[in-house]
Amino acid sequence: MTQVDEIRGHESSPPEIPKQSKLMEMASLTKMMLKNATAFRKLRVIGPDEERYVRPPRQYELPQFQEEMRYSTSNEQYLRPTRWCNPRGPQVVAMANELGAYELSDYEFADAAFWFVKTKMVAEMLPLNSVGATLKRGTGTCYHLISVFIALCRAAGIKARYKTFRMKLPEAIMDLEKSEQEEKLVPMFNIGVPEGEGEAYIDGTWVVAHVAMRPELFAVHGLPITKLGEDSIDMTFELIPGTIRRFESLPLQLGIALKAGTWLAPATMERTNISIQKRCLQGGLIIEKAGGIEAYDQNARRIKDFYSLKEILSIAKLKRNETIVFEED
Amino acid sequence: MTLEQEIRAPLVQLNGLLAPYLPSRDTWNPADEVIYQPRDLYRVPLEEAQDMQLKSIRFTFSYHYDNNYFYHKYCKTRAVRLDDIKTVDDLDKIPLILDTIYKEYPSGKDFAHWLSTVFTGKLPKIIIKSLDPTYDDVINAFNSAGLMVTYSSGTSGRHTFIPRDMKTFIAGQYASVMSFASMIPSRIPNHVYLLFPNPAKTNLFIGKINMLAGNVYKDVRYAVDYEITTDSLRRAMSGNRETEELVTSYVQSEMLQKMVDQITAWLECYKKTEEIIALNGPPFMLHYLMNKLQKDGTSFDFGERGRIRTGGGWKINEDARITHADFRKQAADVFGIPETHCLDVYAMVEGNATMMQCPEGHYLHVPYTYYKPLVLDEDMMPTAYGEWGRFAFLDASAQSYPGFIISGDRVRILEHCPVCDRLGPVLEPEIERVKGEEVRGCAEELRRILAQDLAK
Repeated sequence: MTQVDEIRGHESSPPEIPKQSKLMEMASLTKMMLKNATAFRKLRVIGPDEERYVRPPRQYELPQFQEEMRYSTSNEQYLRPTRWCNPRGPQVVAMANELGAYELSDYEFADAAFWFVKTKMVAEMLPLNSVGATLKRGTGTCYHLISVFIALCRAAGIKARYKTFRMKLPEAIMDLEKSEQEEKLVPMFNIGVPEGEGEAYIDGTWVVAHVAMRPELFAVHGLPITKLGEDSIDMTFELIPGTIRRFESLPLQLGIALKAGTWLAPATMERTNISIQKRCLQGGLIIEKAGGIEAYDQNARRIKDFYSLKEILSIAKLKRNETIVFEED
Repeated sequence: MTLEQEIRAPLVQLNGLLAPYLPSRDTWNPADEVIYQPRDLYRVPLEEAQDMQLKSIRFTFSYHYDNNYFYHKYCKTRAVRLDDIKTVDDLDKIPLILDTIYKEYPSGKDFAHWLSTVFTGKLPKIIIKSLDPTYDDVINAFNSAGLMVTYSSGTSGRHTFIPRDMKTFIAGQYASVMSFASMIPSRIPNHVYLLFPNPAKTNLFIGKINMLAGNVYKDVRYAVDYEITTDSLRRAMSGNRETEELVTSYVQSEMLQKMVDQITAWLECYKKTEEIIALNGPPFMLHYLMNKLQKDGTSFDFGERGRIRTGGGWKINEDARITHADFRKQAADVFGIPETHCLDVYAMVEGNATMMQCPEGHYLHVPYTYYKPLVLDEDMMPTAYGEWGRFAFLDASAQSYPGFIISGDRVRILEHCPVCDRLGPVLEPEIERVKGEEVRGCAEELRRILAQDLAK
């Protein structure tokens, strides 16, 4: 597999979050855990009466790889294999062909790949692995799922890359009652919660693909379901300025962090998986009641558009009032 | 003096005390008339009140449509104009704004321009003595120019800023003072202890709403009598170092104990007199005070000479929350003040009106001559009386900013009070926050579970 350098694309916005914040974040968390042996045990051990996570069955058939199937063999940037994202693996090639690679237009294929990942794959916390393994399993973290989308695009000869950013914790969660420990975690996560998307290069433009959140998880919050080309920033998440990064390959430290997290806190990971599963079930009922994904989404968009004032009050559109005078003190 | 006159006497007296602050009658617009004319905001005949409500809200909507740049644009995107608002039923068409819009502001010079954008009308000249102003610099400059910009405490450190002009501010103050007086129509309190910040030392809304108190009541004390700025609030809310937390917590507990001692001494002064006393404050602070007094075995018997007015909710002290009924029982035990004299107020920085509990049933009465309450369902559509939903309102008294707002509270509105004979709709007394769960990607889901797992 070719090793490639990461690339960074910076937004023109306030300064980056200081790099030491990550160290402080881990130090705070480690300190908290070491001081609290009971809590530390809880991270590692599921109680005897606790619910256990059962991975759902894969929601699609895995097509068989055949030698005559077409796929890209280019070593161009954004088309070549990268860490945890091999577009030439048999499962990826077979699925790409199943979805219409080299038959559909680039946009149509990317859209097909987008909805495949978004509606057929399930979020699950576990260490990073190959796209082939992810496809066999049908589950993964957002990085696994984004990698599937990117690998499928690359297999179809469409350039694709990763985009990550940090999201602000919204007002609603900040206003809710919190335990003492949650209060301590809030400043730590004031540097934001990481989120990710894929991007596909179609007809000369990078098109964003928020694949990692299933429609059911939008429905739980009454939010419109992001389509191909719709950025989750602002639609779903609030961005912490200066945190957007774009790169061809997932960084090694991400894999290490996920592996470490899974080893250190397997019980927490399992509880997270159960929680995600339950929310998906909840959201599924909402979508069913609405009459399907399309019907639900139409209504959610109507409500969102109705009350959208951000565009009008954006900094770029603020009227400069001449009666306000700024003077040096 | 007839009984009616005796009941009305304090209202007349209050009206006289507040008169110097009110706009002169010849400048009253339709929104001013429906606030200042009625003697009792909760006993205006319904048909008459409906006309007043329509006229005043229509007027204020038209004013914002014509004089507020962002609201005008918003109405255009929603294709709603004044001509569309003809009847009381049409009021539901007035475009509502999510309360969070007043939390989405930039910093520095842009903050000043943002304030001027959300403000309705012409601003006076404002001189800000800084080329890189802080929020406090901007607010102080606006207020020095004659405005009344206030903000909420913002438990997340994210305030809500609302630019009132003095006309809007005084209208709200007047209605609030008169509302309380009409609920307990007997002598005006002589001595008031406000467990709120001193309005002269802060621009916090919860401080400034008591600005006229000093002019109405003979003697006013403040429990929080030091300067509070956005900066000091941010530090207080977001300290994340252990030593700082320990110091803060020590200082806070020392200050709270001092407050308890001062209030106790104050209560002792009046316990054997005929003076009317009032304790006004957030329920969590009064509850803390009462708990301390009970622990010390101290109690009073003020009877009908005492008044308690709570407001501001439980906020970050939700874990200490008790029901209104239990609070009133505790107040009766500790202060001897009857439950009929212990009333809660529902207000918010984005709303210029206040809703006052009635002494008979403790339902929150709406000033329906100029204020239309709404309950929205999940689809953000107005729903019928008796249903729980998200609280929204059309406030004609908010003339310097669009007070047509969707709040973050969950309420139930009844068509009239089931207990007292006052007219107009009421809110159930127990109000909750809308369960605004955050949108969770897998990382945020993990954060939440991790936080729970680490909880003791």
